[in-house]
Amino acid sequence: MLERLATLAMGARFELVLEGRDRIHARAAGEAALEEIERCDARWSLFRTDSLIARVNREAVQRDVPLDADTFELLAACEELRALTDGAFDVAVGQRMAALGFRGAADGASNDGGAFELDGARRTLRFTRAGTQLDLGAIAKGEALDRAAGVLRECGVERALLHGGTSSVLALGAPPQSTGWRVELAGFEPARDVLLCERALSVSAPRGRVAQHNGASIGHILDPRTGEPLPLDVRVAALAANGREAEAWSTAAAVLCARGLDPRACAPAGIELFTAAATQASHAVHAHSPAPSLR
Amino acid sequence: MSPQDRREFLVSTAGGLAACALTPSLAFARPAIRAGAPVQVAVIGAGRQGRAILGELATIPECAVAAVCDSDDSRLQAALRRAQGVRGFASHAELLDKAPEVEALVIATPTHLHTKIALAAIAAGKHVFVETPLAHTLEDLSALSEAARRSTKTVAAGFQGRANPVYSLARSFFKAGALRELASLRAQNNRKTSWRTPGSTPERDRELNWHLDPAHSLGLIGEMGAHQFDVYSWFLARQPVAARARGELRLHKDGREIPDTVACELVYDDGLVLDWSCTLANSYEGRFELFNGAMAAIKLAWTHGWMFKEADAPTAGWEVYANRQQFHNDSGITLIADATKLAAQGKLQEGVGLPYTSLYYSLADFVKCVAEKAAPACSISEAARTTAVAIKAHEALRTRSEVAIDPKLLEAL
Repeated sequence: MLERLATLAMGARFELVLEGRDRIHARAAGEAALEEIERCDARWSLFRTDSLIARVNREAVQRDVPLDADTFELLAACEELRALTDGAFDVAVGQRMAALGFRGAADGASNDGGAFELDGARRTLRFTRAGTQLDLGAIAKGEALDRAAGVLRECGVERALLHGGTSSVLALGAPPQSTGWRVELAGFEPARDVLLCERALSVSAPRGRVAQHNGASIGHILDPRTGEPLPLDVRVAALAANGREAEAWSTAAAVLCARGLDPRACAPAGIELFTAAATQASHAVHAHSPAPSLR
Repeated sequence: MSPQDRREFLVSTAGGLAACALTPSLAFARPAIRAGAPVQVAVIGAGRQGRAILGELATIPECAVAAVCDSDDSRLQAALRRAQGVRGFASHAELLDKAPEVEALVIATPTHLHTKIALAAIAAGKHVFVETPLAHTLEDLSALSEAARRSTKTVAAGFQGRANPVYSLARSFFKAGALRELASLRAQNNRKTSWRTPGSTPERDRELNWHLDPAHSLGLIGEMGAHQFDVYSWFLARQPVAARARGELRLHKDGREIPDTVACELVYDDGLVLDWSCTLANSYEGRFELFNGAMAAIKLAWTHGWMFKEADAPTAGWEVYANRQQFHNDSGITLIADATKLAAQGKLQEGVGLPYTSLYYSLADFVKCVAEKAAPACSISEAARTTAVAIKAHEALRTRSEVAIDPKLLEAL
């Protein structure tokens, strides 16, 4: 029997279904996984004032802010991704996101990289320019799913499906008598199903969350280099070995597509990308659910 | 002093205190700790709370985690992977023997193991931070209090409310008489969880779920209620004289004996009653502590606090620009440090909510006290008294009868 649990974190609903040794064990394991997600929320969410990343945004322009090992490693990976994607993926977009009416309350413009420095010896971070704000919204949900899956594995769970806000999905094993968890990718023409097993899938679609800016609807994904929101009809899905890569690459690929580039050219082996400019018809059907729906 | 004079005095005092509390900049900021070599800290226990503590200690520049200890190797290895460059030990005795560089220990083991480890650490001349509740028996509490009294080092307890700036600000209003006559006290801690820790085997399950074992656990009253009881102990500066409690298994009927839904009344000598409840079946309204007075109510919810004034309560000047939040029919003034300054800058909204976690404040206070040889926000004797109240309340639950709490028992701690 599958156990189903959920929690709210990072402004999204995280949900998981899993099969445990028995129902009591499954529930306890699921709760431990959700606690891990909540620990990620406590460090990386901009939806709370006391998170570590909110602390960084307040203080890193004035002093070196010490980080825990997980956060340091995640931010170091973000910098590698920024270099690999020619700045299409960049977490130093918080100020611009806020200026466009999404999270936070800062002014800001475009970002050409190098907005912060990591000191590996002291495990600290410092902003190199005033006004910098980090936003881990393009990677933290995937990372949280990876960590939750790690907890489930430690508990002996072999079959589970986890998602964060339905835009990032991670599969542990496969359901009984199946080779994978079937996930429907909504908004792609033709409609596409993906069988997930020990992999993660993430979808980036600006239409997934929309704000009003200067009288126009804009999506929540922007090109870090120009600071401009992506066209609303861009839609990209990324398959990867883990949630972190899937989420980060789906965002980076969406930006690269909007620049008119082929994201496959810079994606490393193991990252599988599906790109689509959604049709009007699919908008009508999926305007409120551009992310994969679980069946 | 006439009633009118008294009222004006209280209003001006409350307003004045608010201004004092709000005027200094960075009132909610991290504690300023004297610069020097980082305090070398070891964490004993790498379970749920131990991992949270390790995460917070990593962000306090005035300390360095030197060692981690856990009897379970998988937990220890997981903690070592997170902490990096830290020495690992399977027992506190081995750590005390082989890690002389460690100056301070943070004890985050199961409650019934606190005392033995703390006594060994104090005897070894270490600074000690003990998670709460301190212990599960009065005998352990007595031994721990006595050892802490004799120690020349910092010995602190982890009731976090006392180091929480939102709670400190609320307490300044409370002490200034903003609520006037207290009518009632109410607190709850609701969450939806089985409160089980999964193990890799059924045997390991039993070990990890010590808090579901009646032989070792004070149940919800001890593990959750004690933290809230301590808020009232701190605000009221007195302890209840009797406890009544009842509990049931409402949802998690999985063979456990510890109730998942509990209600408890702590009765004070003047008849004032604290109604506390807790359920693991529903999370509505989560955790809060409420003080109802004749002129106002204060509601505290860990990272946030509000004051709800009665219509006939006097109005202070600063209320004009106060940040407010609507709760159905009631409008609460958000308790914000630096409010005067933030309002002048048009940034009052930015002051809502704690900028650091409550655990961070508690640990930073400990590190500061070690570095500066100062008294901790929560002493062992204060925490022992609150824990003793929880032990008595748990006894009331077990025996289903009213249990008296002897003030002399508490004074001796």
